[in-house]
Amino acid sequence: MSALQEKARELLASAAVQVVIGYGRGSGGAARAVFIREATKAGDLVFDGTCLQNLAVYLMKPEVRKLGKAALVVRPATLRTILQLAAENQIAENSLLALVPSAEEIVLLATFAAIEAHVAALDSDLSTAEKAELQRFTALGLDERRRFWEEQFSRCLKCYACRAACPLCYCTRCTVECNQPQWIPVPAHDLGNLEWNVMRAMHLAGRCVNCGDCSRACPVGIPLYLLNQKLVSDVFTGFNSRSGISARSDNALSTFKPNDPEDFIR
Amino acid sequence: MARIGVFICHCGENISATVDVMKVAAEAAKIPGVAHSVEYKYMCSDPGQQLVKNAIREKGLTGVVVAACSPRMHEPTFRRACAEAGLNPFLCEMANIREHCSWVHEKGDATTDKAIDIVRTLVAKVKKNKALQPIKVPVTKVAMVIGGGIAGIQASLDIANAGHQVILVEKEPSIGGHMSQLSETFPTLDCSQCILTPRMVEVAQHLNITLFSYAELESLDGFIGNFKARIRKKARSLDEKLCTGCGLCTQKCPSRRIPSEFDAGLGLRPAIYVPFPQAVPNKPVIDREHCTYYRTGKCRLCEKVCPTQAIRFDQQDEIVEADVGAVVLATGFDIKHGDFFPEYGYGKYRDVIDGLQFERLASASGPTLGEIRRPSDGRVPETVVFVACAGSRDPAKGIEYCSKICCMYTAKHAMLYKHKVHHGKPYVFYMDIRAGGKMYEEFVRRAMEEDGVQYVRGRVSRIFERGGKLVVKGVDTLLAARPLEIEADLVVLATAGIAQPGAEELAQKLHVSYDAHKFYAEAHPKLRPVETNTAGIFLAGACQAPKDIPESVAQASGAAAKVAALFSQSELVREPLIAVVDRQAPPVYSSCVGCFLCQSACPYQAIEKEEIRGRDGQLLKTVAKVNPGLCQGCGTCVAFCRTKSIDIQGFSHEQVHAEVLALLNRGERDA
Repeated sequence: MSALQEKARELLASAAVQVVIGYGRGSGGAARAVFIREATKAGDLVFDGTCLQNLAVYLMKPEVRKLGKAALVVRPATLRTILQLAAENQIAENSLLALVPSAEEIVLLATFAAIEAHVAALDSDLSTAEKAELQRFTALGLDERRRFWEEQFSRCLKCYACRAACPLCYCTRCTVECNQPQWIPVPAHDLGNLEWNVMRAMHLAGRCVNCGDCSRACPVGIPLYLLNQKLVSDVFTGFNSRSGISARSDNALSTFKPNDPEDFIR
Repeated sequence: MARIGVFICHCGENISATVDVMKVAAEAAKIPGVAHSVEYKYMCSDPGQQLVKNAIREKGLTGVVVAACSPRMHEPTFRRACAEAGLNPFLCEMANIREHCSWVHEKGDATTDKAIDIVRTLVAKVKKNKALQPIKVPVTKVAMVIGGGIAGIQASLDIANAGHQVILVEKEPSIGGHMSQLSETFPTLDCSQCILTPRMVEVAQHLNITLFSYAELESLDGFIGNFKARIRKKARSLDEKLCTGCGLCTQKCPSRRIPSEFDAGLGLRPAIYVPFPQAVPNKPVIDREHCTYYRTGKCRLCEKVCPTQAIRFDQQDEIVEADVGAVVLATGFDIKHGDFFPEYGYGKYRDVIDGLQFERLASASGPTLGEIRRPSDGRVPETVVFVACAGSRDPAKGIEYCSKICCMYTAKHAMLYKHKVHHGKPYVFYMDIRAGGKMYEEFVRRAMEEDGVQYVRGRVSRIFERGGKLVVKGVDTLLAARPLEIEADLVVLATAGIAQPGAEELAQKLHVSYDAHKFYAEAHPKLRPVETNTAGIFLAGACQAPKDIPESVAQASGAAAKVAALFSQSELVREPLIAVVDRQAPPVYSSCVGCFLCQSACPYQAIEKEEIRGRDGQLLKTVAKVNPGLCQGCGTCVAFCRTKSIDIQGFSHEQVHAEVLALLNRGERDA
C-alpha cells in the first residue's frame, strides 16, 4: 500500500473526513476522479504523471458537499484554486484537508494559512515554456491573432465543457444563461462563439490559476490556455497581483489601491 | 400595451436649426407603442409642460420621452410635470438631442436621422421602465468642518450661528491658518491678526462648536446626512483639562533652537510650544521629534515646572468617532518651497525668501518685531526685488495656472517695505498685473505712484551672489526689451500657491474629486461652486483654488448656507436610481453566488452581506445586499457581477439592452 493510500485509509477509518477525493484508474488506464468513502477502498487511489485534473472543481458541487468533510488529493494548481475559492467566499476554513502527494511522506494541509505557506514556497509564475509560447503568440500582429481566434472559435460547439471543468466557473447562473435580456446568443455561430469565449476569459481575469483543465476538456482542442495565460501575465505585470496565493480577497480588477501606478484613474 | 408620449423641443433654435423637428415628430409617431408625438418651441416653458401634462391625462400615457436637452438640465423639470399629472416620475425619460446631436452636428438629413435614432432608443427604454418610489433618509444635523483657517472659521461660525452643532478639525496645534501669519492685508492694510483673532476666540467660546485642534480626519464613511467620521486627536503630551496655558513650560524648555513653522522658518521655538501668543486653544504641544526627553530619555523639565502637573509623556493618539450630516472642506493651500527654483537660488541664499517669510518679517509679532531685516546678517536691506509669478503661469514648471493672490500681496509687500524703510528701493518684476477686485487696482496704483515702487514688466532669469549682493538678472520688456541687472540685498519670491501636501490623501478618504494640481473640484464651475461631486461635502477657501481672504470668507459663508439648507429638513429625499441584488423564490433565493467581488469594487462601501436562513434558522445562503442609503447608482458592481445578479433601477439590463436593440434593429430596417 502506498503512502497516499495508507493516509486515506487512516483518515476515513478515524472519521477525520467522510470522503477522500483523489485519482483512480478509469477505462483505458486513464486517470479519473474517485470519491472514496470507505477505508477499505483506499487502495483504489493512484497518483502519477497522468493525474492532471484539478479536483477542486468537485468541491463546488452540491452533491459532493453533501458527502461531508473531504480530503482532496492536490496538485500545485489545486492548492491555488482552494485559496482563490476561499478568497471568493466559496469554501469555509476547516471544511477540507489537502493531501499533497510525494514519494516519501504525504503532507497534510488543514488550514488556509498552511496552504498559503505551502503555495508561497512554490513558483506560481508561468513556466519558461509557457512564457516562450505566449511571447511567440503575442508577437503576432493584431490581424493575425484575430484570424487565429476566429478560426479556433469557429470550431467551438458551445458544449460548455470548459465551464464544467473549470473550478472557478461555479456560478449557479452563468451569464450565458441570462435570457432576460439575452446578452450572449445561445447558438454556436461565429459571433456567439466569440462573445462566449471572450466573456469567459474576462470573467476569469485576475482569478484563473492556470490549471489548464479548460483546454484539456475541450473536445475540439481550442487552446483556451493561451487566453488565460495572457490574462494571468497581464494582471501580474499591470497590477502586480496573482490569483490563488491568499485566502483573502485581493482581486486585481475589483480593488483600487491609492498607490496604483496608473495616474489616469486618480 | 405601452402608450408612450414623445415631446420634441425646438429649444428656441438650439435644436430646430440643425434638426428637422417636424420629421422627428412624424417618425416618432410611427414607432410601435407611441400614442402621441408633438413638437414645441420651448418644451420646458409653462405651456410646454402643460402639453405633457394634458397628454398624460387625456391619452392615458404609460411613459413619456422628452426629446430636448441633457437630463442634467431638465430631467427634474419634466419628471415633476409628469408627477403633477399623476404619472410616476420615473416613467419619464429625456432623449438628449441637443448636446448629443444638434449642437455637435451640421444641419442635414444625417443629423435628423440621428435625432430620430436617439428618440427611438429612449422609447424602447421607457417601455421597460418601472415605477419607482423615492428613498427617504434621515439627516444628522451636525456639520464637520475640516481646516481651521479663515475659511473653516467662517463656515463654522455661520453654521453654529444658524443653530447647528459644528465639529471643527484642525491639524495644527492652533486654528488660524495662514491668515494668522500675515502682517497686514490688502487693500486696506489692516492688521491681519487684529481682525482674525476675535473670530478665533469666538470659535473657542461658541457653545455650538466643538474644536479638535491638533487632530486629523482618520476616515469618513457613510453618505449625505449620515456620515461617520473618525478623528485622530494627536497626542499633545499634556492633559488639556489641567493645562492653564500659563506658558512656564515653554519658557523653561531647554531645546530652544527649532525653526518655528509659524515664523516660516525665520524664528526659533522650543520643543514644547504654542505656535503664537494668540493661539486658540492656548495650550502647548510637545514636538516629540525634537524634545530632549523623547530623544534621550532624560530632561522632563516641563513636567517639573508645570504648576498643575498637566504633562503626560505617555499620552497616546486618541480616536474620536462622530456622526455628522455634512462636511465642509476648508483645508487651505500651501506655497511652493525648496529646490523648485534653482535658478533663483531659493534655499541656497538665505536672503532669497518667499512671500510668507516676508509676511513674518513685516509682522509686529514676527522674529524681527516688524522691522525689515534680512535673514543672513540682520541688516536692513537697501534694495529689495520682488518677483511675481515665481512658478505660477509657467507651463515649463508644470504650474500653468495663475496663483491669483501674488499680484496683490507683492504690491502690499513693496508698500510695507517702503513704509518701514523710507529710503529703500523696491522693484517688482511682473508678467501682468491682475488686480481685479474692489479697490485692488487703486491699491496697486498707490504702490506705484505714491510709494514709488519700481514695476518692471519682465521675468527674472537668474539670481546669484556677487560681493555680498544678490544680482538679479532679468529683462524689461516694456522699454526696448533691454536686459536688466539689479544688485539687491533681499529677494522675495511670490512662489506659486499649491494644494496642501496631504490634499490627495484626504480627497481619497472623502471620495471627492480633485484636479491635476490636487485642488478639490467643485461640482459645477459656475452654478455649484461650493459643492463637491460627493453629496453632502462642501468646499470653502483655497483648497479649491488659490483665493484671497474676502473670496475665501464669501465661499465659506456660501458653504455654510448650503449646510444650513440641508439641515433645514429632518429627512432627505433621494432618487431611487440605485443597485439592487436579485432575489427570487426558493430554492434559489438569489442568483448571487456570494463571491463578494462587488464588495471590494464598490467605491461607496454600499454592499453588505445578507444571510438567508430557513425557518429553522439554518444558514441557506450568504448573498450580497445593497444599502440603499449608501448606493450612488454608479453601476460598478453591475459591470463586475458575473452572474448579472445586480441591476440598477432605472438603468436595468433590460432597459439598456432594449436601447441597444432599438439601434441595431434600425440598421436592419434600413437594409
